[in-house]
Amino acid sequence: MELNYTPEQQAFRAEVRAWMAANVPSQSLKTLEGREGFDQHVLWERKLASGNWGMVTWPEAYGGRGLDLIQWLIFEEEYWAAGAPNRANQNGIFLLGPTIIEYGTDEQKARFLTPMAHGEIMWAQAWSEPDAGSDMAAIRSRAVRDGDHYVINGQKTWSSRAAFADWCFGLFRTDGESSRHHGLTFILLPLDTPGVTVRPIRQLHGETGFAEIFFDDVRVPVENRLADEGEGWKVAMATAGFERGLMLRSPARFQATAKRLVQLYDQHSQTASPQARDAVLQAWMDAEAYALNTYSVAAQVMAGRKIGAEASLNKIFWSEMDRAQHRAAMSLLGAAAELRTLDDGEANAWLEGYIFSLSGPIYAGSNEIQRNIVAERLLGLPR
Amino acid sequence: MDFRLTQDQLELQNAVRDYLTAEHDAALLRRLDAGDSRDPAIWDGLVDMGLTGILVPEDCGGLGLGLVEAALVAIELGRANVSEPLADTALIAAPLTSAEQQSEIATGKLKVALAHNVNPWIADLDQAGLVLGGTHTESATPLESVDPLRRLFASDETSGSDDLLDRAALITAAQLLGISEHILSLATDYANQRVQFGQPIGKFQAIKHHLASVAVKIEFARPVLLRAAYALENNHGRAALHISHAKVATTDAAMLAGETAIQVHGAMGYTYEVDLHFWMKRAWALAGAWGDRAFHIRRIEAGVFTGALETNHSNIFSKE
Repeated sequence: MELNYTPEQQAFRAEVRAWMAANVPSQSLKTLEGREGFDQHVLWERKLASGNWGMVTWPEAYGGRGLDLIQWLIFEEEYWAAGAPNRANQNGIFLLGPTIIEYGTDEQKARFLTPMAHGEIMWAQAWSEPDAGSDMAAIRSRAVRDGDHYVINGQKTWSSRAAFADWCFGLFRTDGESSRHHGLTFILLPLDTPGVTVRPIRQLHGETGFAEIFFDDVRVPVENRLADEGEGWKVAMATAGFERGLMLRSPARFQATAKRLVQLYDQHSQTASPQARDAVLQAWMDAEAYALNTYSVAAQVMAGRKIGAEASLNKIFWSEMDRAQHRAAMSLLGAAAELRTLDDGEANAWLEGYIFSLSGPIYAGSNEIQRNIVAERLLGLPR
Repeated sequence: MDFRLTQDQLELQNAVRDYLTAEHDAALLRRLDAGDSRDPAIWDGLVDMGLTGILVPEDCGGLGLGLVEAALVAIELGRANVSEPLADTALIAAPLTSAEQQSEIATGKLKVALAHNVNPWIADLDQAGLVLGGTHTESATPLESVDPLRRLFASDETSGSDDLLDRAALITAAQLLGISEHILSLATDYANQRVQFGQPIGKFQAIKHHLASVAVKIEFARPVLLRAAYALENNHGRAALHISHAKVATTDAAMLAGETAIQVHGAMGYTYEVDLHFWMKRAWALAGAWGDRAFHIRRIEAGVFTGALETNHSNIFSKE
């Protein structure tokens, strides 16, 4: 056990810190869940790309920096400490990008990765369907082969970023005789393809960050298929693995929230209840614990261990911590918690964050599904 | 930066675990419970394993290891529910004693009891050749713990140091982690065996979700404990704060594990017949020992809220 940063790691930290200090917007952007805010966030993605800070963990050949996990953690620490915006390109960086790097042809890598790294194309996910939520293998949307095209019919829903994104990626049933996780294929397509209808869904906070996608005889070239026909489930599980794993929510984000929460407590210490004080301390401790655990898992992954069902422990922990952190802030704000704009004229980020945090235990595999995975695959209870 | 245990550390922990699994099982706990709760043969076995010399320098006849190794051994003492005063003597007190005393600790001749004003008791005072932070009185009043294998004596005048408190809280936290892991494994085994409605109860999601929540608590307490051990070993400025965090995290894990396990065991969990109660009662005892949750939360809040601690997140491994 060696819990010290090397001089190289310290120098890297200084480099990130300097770039962020010079480039992070001084005014906070509007919410990523609305059109105006989304466009602001896309500009920020391009700014990051201009400094080659967009896809830091990707190999250099595809526009990344080839950072190892410790460097990634350092990058994230400096990113969130600098107050930098949320990532509009999250789906591309952590979900689709690594999947294309693992399963894509050379041609697909060249075609998709570079524009993704440059912040030119924003990606939406298209997994869930009205009857395939936690039970993702119940997918029914069909993709029927017709010459060198697939013809897609069906419906996707809860598609993150689809209201504003350019392309989507998801699973479609190519084998009409198949059931469950067989006969599914991973396909990428532009959201402006004829026959695609995107219907934004108004979310809890009033904005339209996700959407339904309807497919009506949508023709997609075969070269937009990732991996072989019928291999979609395996490819998607790799994506879900990345998603649930280490990188979806970096610890630094929660540490930054914990730090702001301590500052909020300091402003309200005269009126804060003992329960609120305890909740703030718990939030601070949990953020540290999450960071320590990530460093620990990162070290094992760097030594060659694969992340499996352990990723579910992570997802349960961060999502419930996120909700608790914001609940603590709401409690400190008291009667002002309901106001959408606070005294300083800024949007009530705690309220927005609280609302967003309520989605955490649901998306990327609900925490009930995650607890099943932990119980069955880590503890060995019967399926 | 490499937050992995070394091969030597893993081998040490596995060796201690294998030894205790073979030599210190639940049947032994029942035998001790029926008798007077200590057996010199157990102590001799621990001495033969070299465990009394973990922290004793090599030139005093020990292994000269550090607090990370001590914490790993303490995890195994918790897992096996060892009651001999090995943790107090060898993993906590040894570095605070003279070279001569350390030699006697390593050979197993000297047992040390620990006194501190955070505890109203001294454990295993009657066997101790040395009392750190207190004095040896022949007439000390025995106290009865809920844990049938603890031997406690009333304590009045104590002067234990902060250093003693930190070391003891760290090693107690490590035992709580081992206890938590064992309780989870007992409850999981029971859920796999107990059949109701024609299936093992572990097949019901209500049971799965309870046990998964315990697994989450344990997973996120472990690195907090290891960081605390590393920080104290390397004299980091925030070691005391990290130890308090570890004590809170492992206490919460152990209490949740105990309450969950008794629920999973149903009425059987409420009996003396299943082994669960030995570990659950040890968890209750250690939860309050060497600073209870409130005590350690106060130490943490003093660091977090006064600005004495810069909560910048690049500093989780800070030496200052």
